[in-house]
Amino acid sequence: MAHADINHILKAINTIILGKPQIVKLALSCLLAKGHLLIEDVPGVGKTTLAHTLAKTLGLSFQRVQFTSDMLPADILGVSIFDRDSQQFSFHQGPIFTQLVLADEVNRATPRTQSALLEAMEERQVSIEGETYPLPQPFFVIATQNPSTQIGTFPLPESQLDRFLMRIEIGYPDAEAERALLLGEDRREMVQQLDAVVSSKQLITLQAAVSQIHVSAALTDYIQQLLAHTRDSGLFHFGLSPRAGLSLLHAAQAWAFIEGREQVIPEDVQAVLSNVINHRLQARDEQQNGHFIADMIAQVAIP
Amino acid sequence: MTPNSPPTHALIWLILGISLGALPHFSYQPIWVALIFIVMIGWRCMNIWRGWPLPSKQHRAMKWLHLSIAILSTVLLITSYGTLIGRDAGVALLTVMLGLKIVELRNYRDYYLSCFLGYFLVVTNFFYSQSMSTALLMFVVVAIMTTCLISLNDPKRLLSDRSRFKLASQMLLQAIPVMLLLFVFFPRVAGPLWGLPQDAYGAKTGLSNSMPLDNISQLIQSDEIAFRVKFKGDLPKKSAQYWRGPVLWHTDGTTWTALPHAKLAADTPRIKAVGTEYHYTTTLEPHNDHWLFALDFPQQLPVSPNSHFTQDGQLRSNRPIKQRQQYQLNSHAQFTFNSQTDLYLSDALQLPEQQHPRTKKLAQQWLAETQTPRELIQRALTHFNQQEFFYTLTPPILTGDGIDNFLFESRRGFCQHYAASFTILMRAAGIPTRVVTGYQGGEINPIDGFLVVRQRDAHAWTEVWLANEGWIRIDPTAAVANERIEEGMNTIMPLSMRSPLFIANSEKLANLWQSLRNNWEALDNRWNQWIISYGPKLQQEFLSKLGISPNWQSMVIWMISSVSILLLIISGFLFYQRQRQDPLARLYQTFCKRSGIERLPSEGPLDFAARIKLQHPQNHAEIDHITALYINLRYGKQAMEIIDLQRAIKQFQPNKTGST
Repeated sequence: MAHADINHILKAINTIILGKPQIVKLALSCLLAKGHLLIEDVPGVGKTTLAHTLAKTLGLSFQRVQFTSDMLPADILGVSIFDRDSQQFSFHQGPIFTQLVLADEVNRATPRTQSALLEAMEERQVSIEGETYPLPQPFFVIATQNPSTQIGTFPLPESQLDRFLMRIEIGYPDAEAERALLLGEDRREMVQQLDAVVSSKQLITLQAAVSQIHVSAALTDYIQQLLAHTRDSGLFHFGLSPRAGLSLLHAAQAWAFIEGREQVIPEDVQAVLSNVINHRLQARDEQQNGHFIADMIAQVAIP
Repeated sequence: MTPNSPPTHALIWLILGISLGALPHFSYQPIWVALIFIVMIGWRCMNIWRGWPLPSKQHRAMKWLHLSIAILSTVLLITSYGTLIGRDAGVALLTVMLGLKIVELRNYRDYYLSCFLGYFLVVTNFFYSQSMSTALLMFVVVAIMTTCLISLNDPKRLLSDRSRFKLASQMLLQAIPVMLLLFVFFPRVAGPLWGLPQDAYGAKTGLSNSMPLDNISQLIQSDEIAFRVKFKGDLPKKSAQYWRGPVLWHTDGTTWTALPHAKLAADTPRIKAVGTEYHYTTTLEPHNDHWLFALDFPQQLPVSPNSHFTQDGQLRSNRPIKQRQQYQLNSHAQFTFNSQTDLYLSDALQLPEQQHPRTKKLAQQWLAETQTPRELIQRALTHFNQQEFFYTLTPPILTGDGIDNFLFESRRGFCQHYAASFTILMRAAGIPTRVVTGYQGGEINPIDGFLVVRQRDAHAWTEVWLANEGWIRIDPTAAVANERIEEGMNTIMPLSMRSPLFIANSEKLANLWQSLRNNWEALDNRWNQWIISYGPKLQQEFLSKLGISPNWQSMVIWMISSVSILLLIISGFLFYQRQRQDPLARLYQTFCKRSGIERLPSEGPLDFAARIKLQHPQNHAEIDHITALYINLRYGKQAMEIIDLQRAIKQFQPNKTGST
């Protein structure tokens, strides 16, 4: 039954996002694994549309925050304001108090604002003036980032990139999809008319089901050897952390779930590997950056 | 770079390895060999960094330049060596050609060839030096050459340079057990096994058959070790440590020479020993001549090498000492030597005619003034002691009649001036006298207790023959500079002659230098005693101790069997590790094998199934079934029976059904 839901969700999203089934699957698996998603690409390839579509189909409340260089943490988190009637301070929630936040062009904001967002992502709560306000459940951040070679950006530091479970690039559509896009309706309107396939409550059960996907000893061996390879091969400045290993495992579970399996197999790990670890690793040889995943998969034998 | 050309990082390792391997050769090769080599390496490096053209079809001029350098080097080689065969010419040829090859490396074949020549270059280093430092350096070079081989097989640079070097070093370290077994068991034959070519033994410093008046002074500059001695029990006191070498009889006024060997070997001297006996083992450095230096005076011939005593007491090996040689001797500090008569007393009175008139006159005067020979000897020694004679290592150049000039004018000199002039004086007074050269003293290395005798301890003294007493040692140098004899050479040499210039200014640094050198030499000595001298004799002793009969047949059998056993153990261990794979993995491997397609180690079961389904479309269902079972067993939650999979794989015969 659960798997039927998944197929429905994918089908619904693919009517809006044309020609990118792999990317859609990765984005969905990221959310199913309770992870935050970083989309990195040039403007106009459908980053915002993808985020909006995901929110709609999964029945999540949605807020979009456009990051700018003059933005302050309070603009995201909210502020306490003195209310004259009740003679008290009352907290006005910022846009982050929603189930799915689209942090658009997160690398335009100053590091201070960025870290306010990233802290909330990690803690799933907001602390202001000693008061703690829990964020809604489920809670996702989809951040988009322009390639940092563009002007006027503050690229996210490596330590904060680690907070995102996956980083994906959407890329240009192929010829056929692009023709369909040009001829078709306005995507924004289509999104607005989209019905939720599952409710947010159902999404939570789906997430619970994902964490129940079986992980065998043979598979943990495989993941461990992948991690060890990043540390021992000498190709990278730093190897992957245990947290990165856990992320890889959760993402693989979600992928296996989407594929309709009850157990994780090495192919699931290989499918998500590139998107989970690419932004966490820096090759010593600069030219190798972004190209090492295929080699890495070929190097590590499946036990 | 074309896609087929080997990676640059392999080239850099190759250049590094070959340069390090050639480096020690430069010290004894003609300068132009090093020059051509360095220019070639530089050319290639500039190609890597700056893209300078290499000889190729596009760059005809470079090709011609390269060819003419090659021809020039061959001509130079033939002119300076007269041949291309032999150790020196062969090694120089190898060095130059390797340098030239570096410039025109193109494909993998060239690289592999140069790599293996590089290993050969490592071997040639041991033709010249088997010291520990050479061995260490060459170990590093072998590691670098191996890294180059690894790099050639890693064109995509999957491993970093560091991990490639690490891998190479690991491989070498893992090879050490096999190396040790080969070292112990490989049969050694007497003489150099590798049959070094004739020119392998170059000139060595050391004493010689003749002594011009200023010959030893060159030795005194030399820190080189002449031999090392390990005493069993007590050492004789320093002033009694006379190590006898060549004995010189004949003089033409300036140069002293030995008697013809055939004459001397005719008879052995009659020695009567008294006093304390000293037992010691000497390790003699090669000096390309026959003397086995012995403490005056040894009791009997050493067990090996084959040797004999000459009439004048030299201990001579039958073959020249071309390799480090060890021998054991017992010596007595006191002895009488041919006390009744001596065959060559007339030779001991020979004087060059018409020379040394003043010296002869002085001797005649003393002869008239004294009663006995003993008194006359004492008179001469007193003369050296009381008159203004000085011991110096840098005497003024003697002019005119050397002996007369020394005795009456310059009065500055070292052992051989004193020995020579004393002998002339004695002979002129009718007392048979001869010059003995050898070494005197030496230093104890506090680290390992070996007495180290260096070339600078070279010494010359005299022996006079008195009726009924025989040959008696008289050291005229002791009359002038007693401390040379009592304390050894070290005390009278200025610091600047004992240690390199830049540290000679400070006593502290010089002492530090001394102790560092002691440590190093002790280590080097151990290396010599255990590794280098592990020749046929030591091998036989060692193997006999292990209970292995030391003939070469059994050595070969032991060598082959022990190495095979070692390799068997290692492969057994690896096999065991493979077998420890659970039965499921092995079952799956059977399946993969049956499919006739090799599964990549990183290929998951589904990917693999998809691939073999292309090959065997008729087995579609079967493959899916087996893969599903395997996935469930290996990655699934429930513990299931393996039998189903076993049965399914047993029935899976894609190639049979395919062929029918």
